[in-house]
Amino acid sequence: MLYTELSSATQKEALERFKAKGFPTNKWEEWKYASLKSWNEKDLDWTPASLHESSTASLQTQNGNTTFQGSLPAGVEFISFDAFLASNPALAAKWEQRLPILDQNSLYDLNTALVANTQVLWVKSGVSVDDAITHDFIVSASKASAIQSRLIVFLEADATLTLIERAFTKEGSAEVLSNFVQEIYVSEKANLTYVKEQDLAANTSHIDHTFITQLSDSQVDLFTFSLNAEYLRNNLHFYSDGEHVVSNLNGLYVPGENQLMDSHTVVDHRKPNSESNELYKGVLMGNATGVFNGKIFVRPDAQKTNAFQSCKNVLASTRATMNTKPQLEIWADDVKCSHGTTTGQLNEEALFYLRSRGISLANARTLLLLAFVQEVIDRVTHEETKLRLTDKIISKIQTSLAI
Amino acid sequence: MKGINLEIKAGEVHAIMGPNGSGKSTLASVLAGREDYEVTGGSVDFLGKDLLDLAPEERAAEGLFLAFQYPVEIPGVSTTNFMKSAVNEIRKYRGEEALDAVQFLKMFKEKMSYVNIDQSLLSRALNEGFSGGEKKRNEIFQMAVLEPKLAILDETDSGLDIDALRIVAEGVNKLKSPANATIVVTHYQRLLDYIVPDFVHVLYKGKIVKSGGKELALELEERGYDWIISALGE
Repeated sequence: MLYTELSSATQKEALERFKAKGFPTNKWEEWKYASLKSWNEKDLDWTPASLHESSTASLQTQNGNTTFQGSLPAGVEFISFDAFLASNPALAAKWEQRLPILDQNSLYDLNTALVANTQVLWVKSGVSVDDAITHDFIVSASKASAIQSRLIVFLEADATLTLIERAFTKEGSAEVLSNFVQEIYVSEKANLTYVKEQDLAANTSHIDHTFITQLSDSQVDLFTFSLNAEYLRNNLHFYSDGEHVVSNLNGLYVPGENQLMDSHTVVDHRKPNSESNELYKGVLMGNATGVFNGKIFVRPDAQKTNAFQSCKNVLASTRATMNTKPQLEIWADDVKCSHGTTTGQLNEEALFYLRSRGISLANARTLLLLAFVQEVIDRVTHEETKLRLTDKIISKIQTSLAI
Repeated sequence: MKGINLEIKAGEVHAIMGPNGSGKSTLASVLAGREDYEVTGGSVDFLGKDLLDLAPEERAAEGLFLAFQYPVEIPGVSTTNFMKSAVNEIRKYRGEEALDAVQFLKMFKEKMSYVNIDQSLLSRALNEGFSGGEKKRNEIFQMAVLEPKLAILDETDSGLDIDALRIVAEGVNKLKSPANATIVVTHYQRLLDYIVPDFVHVLYKGKIVKSGGKELALELEERGYDWIISALGE
């Protein structure tokens, strides 16, 4: 399998590590419910042809190749990551000092080995980007393929950015395993809002690794809306490495028939006086499988941390399964942490109440499920995105309940 | 339920009374179509259709309304929004045009005045954090909007103070017409001071054991249920 010309020692080493372990199987603790074992057996194209899809988004990733269309907003640059590091020794030094990524796995190695193009979206100090930058993330292949993509987002101090990502599969694509790594650096007093919309095809498996480093007085509001894919795995990590950092993690997953969605989150509090708020909700329909695993670390120095985690799920079908596992490791003694997970069914009495007023069973269920997920959608402040997501979620729920 | 024979004509108000556990709320639930109950025999003729063949939403569309003893709290769904869906689904069932936002607003305003309910309450999550009186007024507001041919009020007086009771009863009386009928299910007579029944039935162990006019309710208030039960020889 797999041999393109590997240019650097780092890539060669990463490839060796991947080859030794292969794709994760259910024997790996962190991949217990979300095995990718079958991909070890497949005859895969590791370097699928590039795409030239038309897209209105300014930022585009097509089969791993990321480009910026149109004119860059003032104070924003889009260059290769190597060039960025070479021309900014001070920023490169900060980057090198960031906290190490926890739970590195074979997919991260695979990405490091084979990714062809790593660009950085760089927002300079004090720059507030007014309009949201839309990122279309498109995959498509003519035969079964593994696609590696990587993007770096670097916010210097006092920078503000809203990023809207739309991940989808081009119609008619063969089976794809999309392995997407993002590393995001949010400097002092910077502010990032990031909405991910994952709406991929029934034969696409998408693994999203998003690793975010935050320094003092920064805020990140991250949203993950998982709508469609055969297999969706989100490894979302926050490395809170400063004081008065605010990290808001919001997630909504609505898997239906033959879909698996797994959210593995890590919030690592390293310094005092910071907070994290995690709100995840799931509606599981058909024979869907859902996984939520939320780790929170509060390190010894991180006194006065406020860390909250909540994960609530509705099983809208008797065939659906949800696995939840909160994991808190707290070494500091003066902190406020809470976590709670619930998995239940729709309230029968509420359904009867709505039906007794003339609302059909299907509409009553949709109404109650929408009311349940609304809390997450309402937190999106970008109006256009909020409306689009609402429409998509209504349609997903209606279609899945009709099966 | 062990066999109920009851005929209700348009324009009539029937009170169903009886001691705790006699089957009053079960009767209301069976008529509205609550799925916890299985009907093993009999039929319920409602304007030419057997109610028992219909889903709860079809019964509502045919003109049946149940005011709940314990209205359900539904977070995230406002009364206004869900009533819009309800009205338009029922209109669709009847082959009528859907109402638009302006028509709704006008209709809601009119119906709100029946039970003196505030717009802000209707915009809030359904029954969430409502007082007992607000919940019951909301039930009667919904009844006013849906204009049922037969309304069943299940223990609507429970948990109400006298002022709330009066407001709710006035709402019910305003909605009364020669074209619709009402079943008032109640344990106590006091609601019947405000909603005057044409007939009073006493339910005991799943059967109607005595029927009479409005005087029967007053007699029950005075003498309790024991004299009826002992007359049955039990």
